[in-house]
Amino acid sequence: MQKSPTDKAVYSRSGIELKSFYTESDIPQEHRSRVTSNPGDAPYHRGFHPSGYRSKPWRIFQLSGFGKPEDENERIKFLLKNGETGFIMEHDRNTGDHCYNVDHPEVVARREDVGLTGAVMQSVRDTAICMDGLPIGSSFGHAGGAVVQHAPFALASYWTVAKQRGFDLGKLPGTGQSDFNLTYLGCVTKEQIPTQPGLRFNADIIEFCDRYLPYWVPVSIAGYNAADTGLTPDQELGVLFANAVEYLDEIKRRGSVDIARAARACGGVSFRASIEFIEEACKMRAARLMWADLLHKRYGISDPKVANLRIHCVTAGSKMTYQQPLNNIVRGTLMALGAVFGGVQSLGVSGYDEALSIPSEHAHQMSVRIQQILQEETGISNVTDPLGGSYYIETLTAQLAEKAWTFFEEIQKQGGYLAALDSGWLHACASENQYQEFMDMERGDQQVIGVNCFKDDGSPFEVDGFMGTDDAFDVATERLKEVLRTRHEAGAASALKRLEADCRSDTNIMPAMMEAMSAEVTLGEIGDVYRDVFGNWDTPIQT
Amino acid sequence: MQKRILMAKTGLDGHWRGPTIVARALRDAGFEVIMIGMANTDDIVTSAVDEDVDLVGLNIGGHIDVAIRSIENVQAARPGLPIFAGGTIPPHAAKQLEALGVEVYPPGSQLIDIVDAAERLTGIK
Amino acid sequence: MGEPTTQTLLKSAVGGERSSLARLLSKIERDPKVETEIRTSLAGGQATSLVVGVTGPPGAGKSTLISALLSHTTASYEKTAVLAVDPSSPFSGGALLADRVRMQSHGLGDRVFIRSMASRGESGGLARATSTAIQLLEACGWPLILLETLGIGQVELEVMDLATVVTVVLNPGWGDTFQANKAGLTEAGDVFVINKADKDGAQQTRVDLQDSLSLIHSPVPIRIFDTIAVKQDGVESLWQGIKDYLNEAQAVGLIEQKLLSRNRRLLMRILQRDFDDRISAYWRSDHGGNQVLRTLAGDLTIEALREDLFAHMAKLD
Repeated sequence: MQKSPTDKAVYSRSGIELKSFYTESDIPQEHRSRVTSNPGDAPYHRGFHPSGYRSKPWRIFQLSGFGKPEDENERIKFLLKNGETGFIMEHDRNTGDHCYNVDHPEVVARREDVGLTGAVMQSVRDTAICMDGLPIGSSFGHAGGAVVQHAPFALASYWTVAKQRGFDLGKLPGTGQSDFNLTYLGCVTKEQIPTQPGLRFNADIIEFCDRYLPYWVPVSIAGYNAADTGLTPDQELGVLFANAVEYLDEIKRRGSVDIARAARACGGVSFRASIEFIEEACKMRAARLMWADLLHKRYGISDPKVANLRIHCVTAGSKMTYQQPLNNIVRGTLMALGAVFGGVQSLGVSGYDEALSIPSEHAHQMSVRIQQILQEETGISNVTDPLGGSYYIETLTAQLAEKAWTFFEEIQKQGGYLAALDSGWLHACASENQYQEFMDMERGDQQVIGVNCFKDDGSPFEVDGFMGTDDAFDVATERLKEVLRTRHEAGAASALKRLEADCRSDTNIMPAMMEAMSAEVTLGEIGDVYRDVFGNWDTPIQT
Repeated sequence: MQKRILMAKTGLDGHWRGPTIVARALRDAGFEVIMIGMANTDDIVTSAVDEDVDLVGLNIGGHIDVAIRSIENVQAARPGLPIFAGGTIPPHAAKQLEALGVEVYPPGSQLIDIVDAAERLTGIK
Repeated sequence: MGEPTTQTLLKSAVGGERSSLARLLSKIERDPKVETEIRTSLAGGQATSLVVGVTGPPGAGKSTLISALLSHTTASYEKTAVLAVDPSSPFSGGALLADRVRMQSHGLGDRVFIRSMASRGESGGLARATSTAIQLLEACGWPLILLETLGIGQVELEVMDLATVVTVVLNPGWGDTFQANKAGLTEAGDVFVINKADKDGAQQTRVDLQDSLSLIHSPVPIRIFDTIAVKQDGVESLWQGIKDYLNEAQAVGLIEQKLLSRNRRLLMRILQRDFDDRISAYWRSDHGGNQVLRTLAGDLTIEALREDLFAHMAKLD
């Protein structure tokens, strides 16, 4: 938002011009009738349940992970004890994102980074250690696998451990991620399967879950990385639904899963919550409007159960400053507030030391405390959609939805979401915005406290950044040798062969992946198959 | 006469916001920016030598020892070649880098300062 | 510590020292006097290296294709050098050179040498610098040089004249785009590649391309190869195809003919650039500037200005 004297135009982050105050007549015509609807009634911008957070508080859901699987296990238990109500299993990104084993030269070259942002899990044995004693049946577990090529392994190893523990997969709750915007837009890895096989993987996962894990959210359609890479709130909405359409159209094409069931399974999405928290709250409301609209117009679905868009939110990591890090506790709180005003179902707050390192235990705890204070002390959970009916909120919600649909259409003009990724068009949009944001800061049009103004830091407190444990690489190396030495080699070889054959054909790869997990095939071996069969995505950007 | 800057990322973290903006600003200031993306020590050293660059810019995210390995190898292969670095660098790590003669630009650094530094380090100013 | 002389560096580079080669390449780009010195020092040497040009529109996958070719070229020629040319910004004079990224994972160590070059805007200058760079690489024992440029714009296409065989890399759907440049590319190419051949429209593009090529008379067949560079598909066949073209062209004297006409064009451009430099120097000089003003005021005829310019040109440097 630009600083301005009263006569200069002011814009929201999405580029919508903001009036200095709003009245009823500002609400767009087509939205007026919706303003009087109740939470639980179409078109659902007010939410799906009249009782809202009274009956079901949002889930406190923090990203957590580092070190050896046992370290991560300990950290998850710590967070659950401290009030987290779901858990996320982060896999080490050097190995996981790339599907490399720890002995791959690119990983060895960065051995101190191994285990920094997640635990190394190279086989089902490691996953078992990480999941030891976790309440997987009663809590809500995220199995990891944020990167598309990593997801089948992450999910299959989690499910295999669950099975080994006697859990009925037919009743197992939880979620995967397999996030296109993260993989192909925001965090481009060194080597990745191209977008087409990526889509195939996600459709395979959706199919498999429909059949065997009806309580599991197969993939999370996520806007966080689209936004943190530079897309504005309206663009984040547009790109998220373009992503959803790509999955649903593929499922429709396959004809293997009833489209309404698939849509219901995919109705668990994820957004970023940034610092302009009123607009962010409107974004969540607009999302619910858009999902119901999309389902109805494009797929002929009006079932409220399917229109029920469950939103997970993560506060913007990029807004956490390096300078005066304690200010970030305030930022985290405000961003969380926006998400709560937006009626999200689950929330993760970034650590106040995000710009310095991975979160320390204290920062992690603080993220949980922020949410607990909001839930228990503010009374905010007592009323559903508290901002509903505000002239400003309703106007901005409607305007955001409209602008988002425009961006959605522009993506279709590019040939669809996958084409817009392959060509670099989305990256160019993001890049252009990033540049403008930077320029705004440089010129002083956008003030960021402690960074380009009020820079003197009177605080004696220094946050030094957490560097994880330092034995993750060595232990992972030993464990890799061990599993290769002690597993039943013939079984592993045959499972790997089956996986390769299935990759090459049209067969759903998940059954073969489950078999590979039981046979203790390792991540790197699976990655080698992918690289051989699918090749490497031609990244449209220079990084 | 154009000066050449090598830009590399020492970690396997794929976030590309920061490096891309810096590269663009340097290009707009008249530099030739040779971007090699995620690169291990060998890649960085070979590029620094074969491209005969005037300055090395590293984007660091993750453990500082990974970056330090690359820095020490570059300094051995091309003594006196200036190096500057940005990214997620906690204060204690920034001190280690500075002790090696590397200029550190943490998140929130202004582009104008980075461009000025590039001009100063390559002898333009 | 004193700067080593050009001759010292040259000796060291020819002796196999990579860092000396790298430093000389920088000097060739930056300092016309040094470039001339190197060119004259190396003159009379055998032009033994093979230069394979790789050009095409942005996004075609040239760098990825080159990366995939490296394992095959080093099997044939032991060592391969790559010169990757990208356009400089016309506004700032800077450039983003990102071809290296895609060529990094070759795993061939010392057998590959990659150098990124910015076009720096001027046609003759780039062609001259690249020509001397190629001479230098030859002298330093690099038998094969892959020369990559964007197939858009005079500057970049002209550099392709330095290549013995030009490979044009296109994508499916090429026929629908780049209308203005189609003629330039189809005339420039000796071997054609449809990369990302698994995408829709590959077949139609092949047909469109064959149509365009049918208008060109060539004594040696111009072949089209399908590749999927990210999967290494079709790359070995392409390399064989390039070698086949060379043999066939050699046999009918085409290589010699092409080299001659290319060298003529190159020479012309170098002379034109020299002339342009001298005219600019005249224009900027006190004397010349005055003469120009007098001409504009009507005190001097254009013919007289021209005579004066020619008289002074010999003196200018």
